[in-house]
Amino acid sequence: MKSSLFISAIFLCSTLSGCLTGDLRSADDALDPCEDTIPARDSDGVLHILTYDIFQGYTNEMIEQFVNQSGIEVEIIRTDDAGGILDQMMLTKSAPQADLMIGLDNTYLPTALKNCLLIEHSAQAENFTQSSMEFYEGPLAIPFDEGDVCLNYDEDALSNANMSVPTSLWNLTEPQWNGKMAFPSPITSSPGRAFLAATHDYFNHQPGNESGNASNWWKAIAENNAIFTSGWTESYTTYYTGGYGQYTEGYIGGAYITVSYCHSPGVEAYFAENYTHSTSLTLPRASFHQVEYAGVINGAAEVDAAQQFISYLISQDVNSNMPIYNSMYSVLNGSEIPENNGYRYHSDITPRSSYITSEMIELHMESWLEEWTNSTK
Amino acid sequence: MNSQASFLSAEKTLRLSVVLVYLAACILPFVYALERLQYVTGWSVFTALSEFSSQSGAMKALKFTMLESVASALLTVLIGLPIAWCLSKYSWRRVRILRALLAVPFVTPAIVASMGFLSLIREDGLLAKMGIDLRLETGLVGKFAQLSGWEHPGHFLALILAHAWFNLSLMIRFVEPTLSTLDPRWEEQLSLLPGGKSRFSRMKHLWIPVIGPAVMCAAALSFLFSFTSFALVKWLTPNNDTLESVMASAGSSAGIVGYRIDSSEVVYSVAIVQFIILLMTLWLTSTLQKRYTKRLSQLSETNVRNHHGRPTLAAKIVLLVGIVFTILPFVSIVVSSFRMREYSNGISQYEWTLAGWKNAWNGDLSTMPVSEAMSNSLIYALCTLIIALPIGWILASTIFRLEKSGWSKTSKALDVASMLPLAVSAIMIGLGVLLGGLRWYPQMFNWFLLPVFPHVLLTVPFVVRVMLPAYFSLDTSFQEQCRVLHLSPLQTWFHSTLMFLRGPAVVAGSLTLAFSIGEFGASWLLVRSGSWDTLSVVVDQLMGRPKFDPVVYPTAMAAASILMILTFVLFLAVERFRESTDRSGF
Repeated sequence: MKSSLFISAIFLCSTLSGCLTGDLRSADDALDPCEDTIPARDSDGVLHILTYDIFQGYTNEMIEQFVNQSGIEVEIIRTDDAGGILDQMMLTKSAPQADLMIGLDNTYLPTALKNCLLIEHSAQAENFTQSSMEFYEGPLAIPFDEGDVCLNYDEDALSNANMSVPTSLWNLTEPQWNGKMAFPSPITSSPGRAFLAATHDYFNHQPGNESGNASNWWKAIAENNAIFTSGWTESYTTYYTGGYGQYTEGYIGGAYITVSYCHSPGVEAYFAENYTHSTSLTLPRASFHQVEYAGVINGAAEVDAAQQFISYLISQDVNSNMPIYNSMYSVLNGSEIPENNGYRYHSDITPRSSYITSEMIELHMESWLEEWTNSTK
Repeated sequence: MNSQASFLSAEKTLRLSVVLVYLAACILPFVYALERLQYVTGWSVFTALSEFSSQSGAMKALKFTMLESVASALLTVLIGLPIAWCLSKYSWRRVRILRALLAVPFVTPAIVASMGFLSLIREDGLLAKMGIDLRLETGLVGKFAQLSGWEHPGHFLALILAHAWFNLSLMIRFVEPTLSTLDPRWEEQLSLLPGGKSRFSRMKHLWIPVIGPAVMCAAALSFLFSFTSFALVKWLTPNNDTLESVMASAGSSAGIVGYRIDSSEVVYSVAIVQFIILLMTLWLTSTLQKRYTKRLSQLSETNVRNHHGRPTLAAKIVLLVGIVFTILPFVSIVVSSFRMREYSNGISQYEWTLAGWKNAWNGDLSTMPVSEAMSNSLIYALCTLIIALPIGWILASTIFRLEKSGWSKTSKALDVASMLPLAVSAIMIGLGVLLGGLRWYPQMFNWFLLPVFPHVLLTVPFVVRVMLPAYFSLDTSFQEQCRVLHLSPLQTWFHSTLMFLRGPAVVAGSLTLAFSIGEFGASWLLVRSGSWDTLSVVVDQLMGRPKFDPVVYPTAMAAASILMILTFVLFLAVERFRESTDRSGF
């Protein structure tokens, strides 16, 4: 009796779901932000900010300072990472939950722009670094921090294992690197996605038969037992032997190289009294210049408040603190990483980042992700 | 007479409304979510099922889920059975307290259990000091890995140990009542017969038939809870995915038209497969439970305990180990919340500090302050209690009434339907509400009280399971006496039903509060749509933060300690209203 009921439950659901077509189906897809006017969410006098939950730029003190200066109340909606921000905006595109987005990077921004998820902001991008404005200069999003995504490796581990520092990404396909690499998945991680883009540019500019071999390289490192994780945190803290992960619970280790930021060793040193055995691998075109943006969400209720917050975020006082609060570079000219505890000393500068444009991302990212999935299966 | 008729009619209407609303709330979000996934992927249910093996990581996740669930169930039996055996056989002092202590893990929030076991396996944790290094896999564990050729067994062992800890009370709950009421003369008489001379033959002819169904029932439920475990898997085996964690990670981008179709395909396929496996497990549990129920109650518990006398030294040791095992993760969390890593010339040391507690309370590092998250958790728990307890109560009484009125099949159908939320797991419920709700009325994601909905769905089955046996054990003669005394229907209900169901209702209420406060999976999915983090979610957020800054870890542990204390305080506060002789539920 019960078993037949259980089985009926499955078929009931499938049958019923088949009946619910028509009006119900299109309830939330009825409005296309690119064609229709998205009705603003009901105003409650509170500025709702959608951001990722590791964004540390908003300490209570900073929020309080903004609230005191402007008289605007603020509420933060947190997602896991930049991908989570885009997911959330896409999911609620016809009934937005927030007014301001902070944290979409240049690998996700084209999708947000293509789907008309942002509206024009009024902030002036004055005194911004050239590198922060190269990718997107339009009125729909404004950069608030930047940094280079690149490979980080454990100097001590390499030295102890008598391994040489890679001079080409192909070195990682050699037997000595078998099982000693950890990469965040580009499907679910923004540094992973940034590095995937970099590998395409890297191999497109390699001489001879290496040109265009990004997919082959990913296949080769998968066969060399590279570890693929869902996010940066798992790669860096669970597997990477050169980072702080070795002091934390859940650590497994085994990976001498991983994807992080070129300045991650500097951050390690800053919090560990100028000590780190991690360094970055700055091969030309094997890094990706990541820029993170803020923008007003299409359908925002508190547009003025959102504009004010953007201005506050890019102000000299707040933005110059990005290296401390969000472990990223400020986008303002003249702002430097602090020198104390070896932060600046251990933060490497890449000789040449990959050259990936907004159009390339929009055009190729889907197929890159598909190829990556097939190559690493 | 008229007033009685109108009371009965109103009662019938109320019953019918509650049953219909509950069933609609259970089914509709999933039907809508399923429809949405069908629309986005263009797949039928059968295509989703057949495409399961081609989904990235799905087969690997299925294998791991089955492996960890079976291993967890076996370990639960291995650890729980000796404890249940010893607890039930002897005349223990303060047996009620001992039983309550061993039941505590079951009401502990999953995220707290994760933090407890993470802190136990840390480099300066107790297990590492005992030579059991589950984290870096050196020493004994390293040798085991080397000999077996099994890569990274440490985290897997930590996970199944944590699941066994969590499900320990299930074994005690099912086995102890059978053993503590079993007529001791059975064993004595059997030992005089040729077939009962040896310990093995007594095991074969007495113990396995008597406690076998109870053990199997507890093992099946342990399998079920391990299968849908999310927080423990997320934190203890970061190198492996279960079906639940695959759905969780793909869930945020699923169900969006023209965007990340791969996510919708994964969620759709995995959800269908998980649903079928969980339904089969529930069916198995239900069948075993019937066999188990038939073998209950032979003698009074006190008489049996007195017959066996004071516990032996071996029994005392077993119980002591069980209690220490139960308490250890809690102690470890609190200790870890006061310890912070310090660097000196590249060497990492630990110092005692209150920094974690200060940060947790003030909400530094951009996390919601614990005080605010705590108030959210409390509001959700109280709302869940107010809604889930009456619904579960009415459902249980309706199932009972139907059975007594000869509507046996309808009663059984409703009984099964009330368990449906258990067959769809917390993540599936969260996804159902997220995708189904969004389809129906997108503005609902602005509702502060939205997480109450999945909490109610997840707790009602427990209320029904606690209240239903209580209804079946009601003595109908009291009702007849009330009628003879011409009491009104309300007075009759008060004196013949309510007075006898206070104990089970308190148990159901305290379980509802504890489960709502500790609920993680559905809240984790839903609060990302708003900004009303619960304490469980805040602990997870803190632990997920890059720990360059050493204060992050003690902050997470402090938040977990607060969640743990809050759960126990509420649980114990409600338990105070239970009669000391009442043993219903956990």
